[in-house]
Amino acid sequence: MSTTTPAPVRQTAHRAHKLRRRNTALGWSFIAPNFIGFAVITLVPIILMFYMAFTDWNALGTPHWTGLANFQRLARNSTFRAAVAQTFYYAIPHIILTGVIALALAILLNQKIRGVAFFRAAAFFPYITSIVAIAIVWNLLFSPKYGPVNQFLTWIGVAHPPGWTVSSTWAMPALIIVGTWREMGYYMILFLAGLQTIPRELYEAAKVDGASGWRRFLHITWPGLRPTTFFVTVMLAIQSFKVFDLIQVMTEGGPGTSTYVISFFIFQKSIGVSSNAPGTGEFGYASAASLILFFICLTFTILQFIVNQQSDLRKPRWTPVPLALGLVAFALAVASFASGYSLGLGYLGYLALFVVCFGFLMIHVRILRRRQQ
Amino acid sequence: MKLGKPLAALMAGALAFGLAGCGSGGTTSTPTTTAAGTQTATASAPVTLTMSGWSLKTTPEFQTLVDAYKKVAPNVTITLKEYDPNTYEQLMLTDMTGGQAPDIITIKQAKYTWQWATGNALMDVSDVVAGLSKDVTGAASYAVNGKNYGVPYRQDSWLLFYNKDLFDAAGVAVPDGKWTWDTYASTAKDLTTKLAAAGKTALGTYEHSWQSTLQGFANAQKGDNTNPAGPYMTGNYTYMQPYYDRALDLQNSGAQVAYGDISTNKLTYQAQFGKQSTAMMLMGSWYIATLVSQQTSGDADKFTWGMAPAPQVDSSTVSTPVTFGDPTGMGINAKIDPSKLQAAKDFLAFVASEDAAKALAGIGITPSTSSDAVTAAVFATAGMPSDALSKTAYQVHKTMPENPSGADVMNISTVLGAAHTAIMSGSADATSELATASQKVKDKDW
Repeated sequence: MSTTTPAPVRQTAHRAHKLRRRNTALGWSFIAPNFIGFAVITLVPIILMFYMAFTDWNALGTPHWTGLANFQRLARNSTFRAAVAQTFYYAIPHIILTGVIALALAILLNQKIRGVAFFRAAAFFPYITSIVAIAIVWNLLFSPKYGPVNQFLTWIGVAHPPGWTVSSTWAMPALIIVGTWREMGYYMILFLAGLQTIPRELYEAAKVDGASGWRRFLHITWPGLRPTTFFVTVMLAIQSFKVFDLIQVMTEGGPGTSTYVISFFIFQKSIGVSSNAPGTGEFGYASAASLILFFICLTFTILQFIVNQQSDLRKPRWTPVPLALGLVAFALAVASFASGYSLGLGYLGYLALFVVCFGFLMIHVRILRRRQQ
Repeated sequence: MKLGKPLAALMAGALAFGLAGCGSGGTTSTPTTTAAGTQTATASAPVTLTMSGWSLKTTPEFQTLVDAYKKVAPNVTITLKEYDPNTYEQLMLTDMTGGQAPDIITIKQAKYTWQWATGNALMDVSDVVAGLSKDVTGAASYAVNGKNYGVPYRQDSWLLFYNKDLFDAAGVAVPDGKWTWDTYASTAKDLTTKLAAAGKTALGTYEHSWQSTLQGFANAQKGDNTNPAGPYMTGNYTYMQPYYDRALDLQNSGAQVAYGDISTNKLTYQAQFGKQSTAMMLMGSWYIATLVSQQTSGDADKFTWGMAPAPQVDSSTVSTPVTFGDPTGMGINAKIDPSKLQAAKDFLAFVASEDAAKALAGIGITPSTSSDAVTAAVFATAGMPSDALSKTAYQVHKTMPENPSGADVMNISTVLGAAHTAIMSGSADATSELATASQKVKDKDW
């Protein structure tokens, strides 16, 4: 019997092959318009950047291959070293604050409270407001003498309120505050979407078992949000390391070079148009700095992937945990040291920051592992 | 290793975020040699040139020059290409790399000349500059390695604007044209006290947040910022110390708005002086036309004002006060069609002529050619002050370039810009910050 049926099998295989081919073509046709645009205006310049980073190209002349000269110059440049440190100084507190506040807001606004739609919209509003308008309003709020922030601080008894955007010590914290305020709404929406996917029955069962609110968060909400948390931390990290617009409109890298970040440095060495940082047109040099920023973002993303894979219970654990942790610790230690050194903040503050940040990354590994046992 | 032309063109295209550069970027030769005598357009043949400008509706100087030239050379038609003023250099660079730049390139900020000239985007016009009248100032700002790449048509310089009504209300004598910085500072404090006593909220003076408002004077009055071996180029900025001490003292004593309040409240100098929040203000001569038009339109209050020379270090320079300002000029695209080159050079020679100067003066622009006739044309406009000191201040001064031309100028300017914001915001003390800036420039740490 079995030997008499080769024709239908071949026919089925043929049909499946045809179907697969048709599906692939259909898929490509959906992707193509976007991909062509991406390739022309993003991918090609990015690939060229890898080449330009090793040349002395200044946009007008012919580029000459200079090997690692741009990178050696970057390593010697005190402004660039400060920019790297300040990028971490902005990014790490900003990632933690935005992540925590967005999650807290999402949990709060996931409950049945009166006017929840209004509060959700209110939290999302800063994200869709023009960054220029935000800069003007926050600069007014932070105005050292006449700003409401300092008037409030004086009123509650602070004798010498900070100078905020006109003080080299306080400009970065001011930017972190504005950055967090601006982006928390967006990540709140992502967390809200994640919360909706957690089955209600789990909470009801936990309540019946007498679990407290905190335990319900720890054992249901947090593990249930794992895919969302992963996405949020990756996006948030990339966005924080690439921060530019906020700094350009709020402080233009100042006072002095206290809020220079890598993106601002790149801008200033290439097309910069701001009054305090006219563009010097050194596109090769700027590309080298871009490459470093690219690798910082890439490293963080890979680390997050590794950590995420570690905590995924369904997959075999093939990644060497010590290596992943070691890399994270190394990156953070370098950042902490550089920041502490260049900002004169001392080691204790940065040690604390390092511990908090490292802890944040590790929490979900531990929780999920405990659940597994 | 040298990169081939096609890849260079592709890079240009990438910069322009488009493929506009590929068509014309791959031309095989760049005509950089002076073509005097070799390319001569016949006088009567019609020629069409393109020229860059910005905010054409509110910046009439380009059309004024074009119209004035039409009378001299009716066969030449010049069409204007408009750019955004805030990103002018960025857009121009994109057009240059993409081969889309106009024939005549307006040089908005002289400090970009070095970048454009060494990148072979501008043509050597030394022959045009050699033929200019002795009354033209500012051509040196466009010199790179001994060759000239631009011709100035406009030369602003910084002056002291004062509000005569506020001086009278305070009972303080108006500037007499012999002021040193000490006179300026003590008068500012005196005015602040007496204006408050007279029930006015105005302060004695206003210093805008730009680094020019302080460093421009310090550099010019030091006198050798164009010297490659001078302290500006080699990094020794102790000479700025007295200027910072004075500005910080005025700011701390309340005689001028603090830097932090200017930057956080985004104060504009036009509103500060125009709405009578200050009795004095150091500003470039471009503000003359703005003030006159704002007083006419009602954007500024109506009050009597005047101009005085910039304060000097001591009395030795009061007869010819030293101030600063960069010219605005025109250059020629290195990729211009050779048949149009002579017409473009003739136009460049025209923009620095007295005819062009009078036309510009008629719309309140300070031309690069100074003469009694030009001053008379500027002061003939309704709304201009009529006192003798204003006219002298406008015409008689030694104007040093704010930004000398050189490879490191942009980076030096950035280092000093950062020092300025650090010092004026009170984040760092002037002595240590100037020492840091000096060290960075010495080490070429950028």
